[in-house]
Amino acid sequence: MTISVAPGPGTREGTRTGTAEATDSLTAPDIPWNLVIWNDPVNLMSYVSYVFQSYFGYSETKANKLMLEVHRKGRSIVASGSKEQVERHAVAMHGFGLWATVEKASGGNDGTPGKSGGPGQGKGKRG
Amino acid sequence: MAKAFKYGLKGITGYLEPAERDLLRSLIADVISMLQPQERGGQDPLAELIGLDMDVAEPSDRAVKRLLPNVVKDDAGASLEFRQLTERSLRETKIGALRAAALDLDKDEIVLTPEGARHWSMALNDVRLVLAERLDIQDEEDAEHVHRMQDWSQAEDVESYLALVYNFATWLQESLVQAMLQSLETRR
Repeated sequence: MTISVAPGPGTREGTRTGTAEATDSLTAPDIPWNLVIWNDPVNLMSYVSYVFQSYFGYSETKANKLMLEVHRKGRSIVASGSKEQVERHAVAMHGFGLWATVEKASGGNDGTPGKSGGPGQGKGKRG
Repeated sequence: MAKAFKYGLKGITGYLEPAERDLLRSLIADVISMLQPQERGGQDPLAELIGLDMDVAEPSDRAVKRLLPNVVKDDAGASLEFRQLTERSLRETKIGALRAAALDLDKDEIVLTPEGARHWSMALNDVRLVLAERLDIQDEEDAEHVHRMQDWSQAEDVESYLALVYNFATWLQESLVQAMLQSLETRR
């Protein structure tokens, strides 16, 4: 399973190479969509990490970091890509019982996958 | 007493007492019945074949809505459109995992392939989501409150019984997921 990672801030200008999605008239090819996972008091932390590792192929470290971000901040962007890609991920997450939504990336927001040491590390209460 | 799932040479194994298997079987059957799509006459057979459902609506039951959530926050229209395209197959995916887990309950010792373990983890998770709605677990504090119910001799009403069942399913899923994480690590 591969996913396309959202370009970092400031790189948007330079990512106009993709032609594959130029036929999608509803979505500008360079505006990614985000897959958001929301916190809930039922899903086990270990299970959420397992889903991130097994479905997205993320390392244990990355999966745990995203899982803790969901837990502490209430939500986390766990993948980005075209609308179709994140919608497919959302159905898979719903299959696993995770609370997932899709949203258009607003640009320059936090929680972009692949970045390390995001804000909020160590804040918030532990469950 | 049930034995925690563990990962070993045979794969992921677990053991459940007959009463525990009966309990899980009935919980699974409940969730399956909640997920079974309503059979309506006059559905376009082609649409049905490819999983389209133009008559689908946002579930009114909170537990069903937790199993089949809206895909766009604060946009009922976009979420409904997405439901028309995907909800039927999502229901089928979930029912498939629940049925697979129920079949494994026919044996004393449960031996799971990686695929079987994935089905079990999904099934236990859906069972827990439904129980959590029935127990009105809305936040971590509610979850903590329910978690404190551990003694079966305290079960004197439906709610405390449900809480104990929920805690049993949680314990079982946690032990399964730990075994699955171990198996992931070994395969890396």
